[in-house]
Amino acid sequence: MSQNTFTAAPPLTELPPTPTPTNRARLASATKRLLPKSYLILVLVAIIIIGYYVSEDFLTIRNAENVIAAASIVAVLAVGQFFVILTGGIDLSVGSTMAMSTVIIALTLQTGMNAGASAAFTLACCAFAGLINGALVVWLRIPPFIATLAMMSAIKGFSYIIQSTSLIQIFDKNFITAFSSGSALFVQNPVLIFVIVAVVAALVAKFTTFGRSLYAIGGNPEAARLSGLPVARNVLITYTVSGLLAGLAGLIAAAQLQQGSSLIGVGYELDAIAAVVVGGASLMGGRGDPISAVIGVFVLATIINIMNLVGISSEPQLLIKGAVIIIAVFLSSAGGVQRITNFFGSRFGRGTASARV
Amino acid sequence: MSLDTDRQGAPEELRLDGILKAYLGVQALKGVSLSVKRGSIHALAGQNGAGKSTLVKIISGAEIPDGGEIYLGGELQKFREPSDAQKAGIHTIYQELSLVPSLSVAENIFLGELPRKGGTVVDWQTMAAEARKALARVGFDLDVRRAVSTFSVAEQQAVELAKALHKDARVLLLDEPTSTLPLPDVARLFTVLRSLAEQGVTLLYISHRMDELYSLCDSVTVLRDGRNAANLSIADSKPTDVVTAMVGKSLEGSIADAALRGERSPRLGAGRGDKVLMSVSDLGEDERVSDVSFDLYEGEVLGISGLIGSGQSELAGLLAGARRKTHGRIRLDDKDVVFHNPRDAIRRGIGLLPQDRKAHGFIPDMGVAGNITLASMPMFSRLSVINRRRENKFALEMVARLGMKVSSIHQPMKTLSGGTQQKGILARWLARSARLLICDEPTRGVDVGAKEDMYELIRDFARAGGTVIISSSEITEAMMCDRVLVMARGKVVAEFDHDSIDPHGHALVSQFA
Repeated sequence: MSQNTFTAAPPLTELPPTPTPTNRARLASATKRLLPKSYLILVLVAIIIIGYYVSEDFLTIRNAENVIAAASIVAVLAVGQFFVILTGGIDLSVGSTMAMSTVIIALTLQTGMNAGASAAFTLACCAFAGLINGALVVWLRIPPFIATLAMMSAIKGFSYIIQSTSLIQIFDKNFITAFSSGSALFVQNPVLIFVIVAVVAALVAKFTTFGRSLYAIGGNPEAARLSGLPVARNVLITYTVSGLLAGLAGLIAAAQLQQGSSLIGVGYELDAIAAVVVGGASLMGGRGDPISAVIGVFVLATIINIMNLVGISSEPQLLIKGAVIIIAVFLSSAGGVQRITNFFGSRFGRGTASARV
Repeated sequence: MSLDTDRQGAPEELRLDGILKAYLGVQALKGVSLSVKRGSIHALAGQNGAGKSTLVKIISGAEIPDGGEIYLGGELQKFREPSDAQKAGIHTIYQELSLVPSLSVAENIFLGELPRKGGTVVDWQTMAAEARKALARVGFDLDVRRAVSTFSVAEQQAVELAKALHKDARVLLLDEPTSTLPLPDVARLFTVLRSLAEQGVTLLYISHRMDELYSLCDSVTVLRDGRNAANLSIADSKPTDVVTAMVGKSLEGSIADAALRGERSPRLGAGRGDKVLMSVSDLGEDERVSDVSFDLYEGEVLGISGLIGSGQSELAGLLAGARRKTHGRIRLDDKDVVFHNPRDAIRRGIGLLPQDRKAHGFIPDMGVAGNITLASMPMFSRLSVINRRRENKFALEMVARLGMKVSSIHQPMKTLSGGTQQKGILARWLARSARLLICDEPTRGVDVGAKEDMYELIRDFARAGGTVIISSSEITEAMMCDRVLVMARGKVVAEFDHDSIDPHGHALVSQFA
């Protein structure tokens, strides 16, 4: 058998040589990609419509400002949390880091340092806390849940110690303007901050090699490693970014409350995680996008706001919030829509006589 | 060949009529029919994407068909989930066994229905006795109180069979049961399967291997493109008939054809160059690999063969930087190199096609294009921003060049067939312009047509000046290499030149064990 025989042998595939996608396939795949996000927006719109009917105060500029101001902090946290969750990790320490941020900024402003330098120093400290999280996960191989749980406690303790009094007032006008009361182009600064953060995050996730590698690491860490991606470095960066953004959220909180306190931000890490998951990301990693995570924040924030307006007290609110998270996750990432469709399809006809065997 | 005349008159046990199934608008099954007589061994063959696995899922109740009917013993069946099929007596044994490793053999066999004494306490004695009985039916005698994880793959498979029999299996679906078995165990498995058929169990056997089909089965249904391509009696047909039906065209002159006819294996390599690309001395990793030394020449296709678990896979990992060596050294281009991680090896032009594609090969939810450019993203980006248009264009070229069957370059990798996934991983290294390709069991779980494609692509790669290492437990595959190192218990025990191997590879096999 000569070698030439093989060169002559055609490849044994039956498809045409260039399978360019048809318009229909392209449309189908585009719809499939957009569906989770449009579904989230529909949910948000539905909630807003409900709010409009149950409370007169809901659709007012003042109320919208309240909702957005409250949500902007969690939104910034959620973006950082999203990147960590995308790699298959989790960051429980962001609430504590946020509190530490308020304490550090209050302390540095107290010393008379100017607002810009104080903010930069605070962010650097928070990024460093995130870096420690990453180092624990990457180098000491401590599971992210445990590592960041320990850091949550350690950072909180650290904040208490450096705070020394019960709370520290912030008087620096420049700082308060920059992170809370100021506005540009008729948009409040906190809103501007979270929009910029979210947009940059979305661009990074979708268009950069870094973002792509995070999806790969979360999707299959071993395949990512075998493909030569800098897995350790990139995971380290995501925890650092999460710490940095927690610091930024802390700056907004400090400016809004005009104080620094280690008691700020309790439970915010869970709100951020819930928002990311409601936004369709998988806790196993490799799926989701930052904009959806931010929409998830608004879904939850709007529901809380409506409950406040109609006078539901905080205990039932927690109950309802829990239920909403479960329903949202079931619908968005656990394949709930598919299962409900199948269920009704199998019960009530629609051409099932032949479909069932 | 085992055409048992008794079975000619046996009643029909399993019958499928016009089974239809579509996924996301792709019609996977376009009306498949099948009829299997009681107590016979019926093979199901077909290329990747032909619809075999979909059909298996439908028969085992894991998927619900869009149309068509399933009859078992003449009765119409409607399966909503796997437990329905199992209650009816259809049990499936998948490639990845579904046992609980930490539980004992007996507990696994009785999983979900432990026998009880007085309604509360588990009756361990009855359980052990019954478990031994079930194992005896498949010709095994194991300590049923030991954890499943302490047994070999062959023994675990026996436990899985015993479990199905214990649950009164009428029909057994076997999805490539030999793909992870060492050779001697395959013969033993076949003896067991034949005796089960004689006891009246009906077997549906899915395999890519023609030699297995022709030594074990009575009849075969070939699927192509979601339809029945042929229904053949094994006694009245030849392996080439089956393969021809699978690929839909004549195989004459192909590598598979040569292998089927037992001819001298064609060569994948274009012959070695004079320059030593890689020189390995006393390389080792604990006990798994030890004292391995060889020179790899530029343009050579080097085979590393041996029974599964002989260390060839670990050696491949060491050479690709996926594993860390504990001793010895590797010289590349006359320079000592140390691979701390795959990145170090990739930077020097080495690419690995891992053995376990699903676990190590690709990002399941990522699209084909993203998977192809995974190792070469900087080439498609500027200042870290990926140029999607360039990436897509390149991916389309690769898809066409390698003949990958995809509906879109954004199709998630996990939805592709094994052969197409393997091509996608190969494309990743072509994109990276790798000069040394290390293929660990490159055609495992890949059907005949895609296998042929893989060999062709490896040939092209070698002809273009690339160097290839193929780690394989398949003898036919090793025999295609320019040179073969045989490994046993972590050491290289023999070396053969392509021309010094006899047509049946007996020389190679004699060095195994």
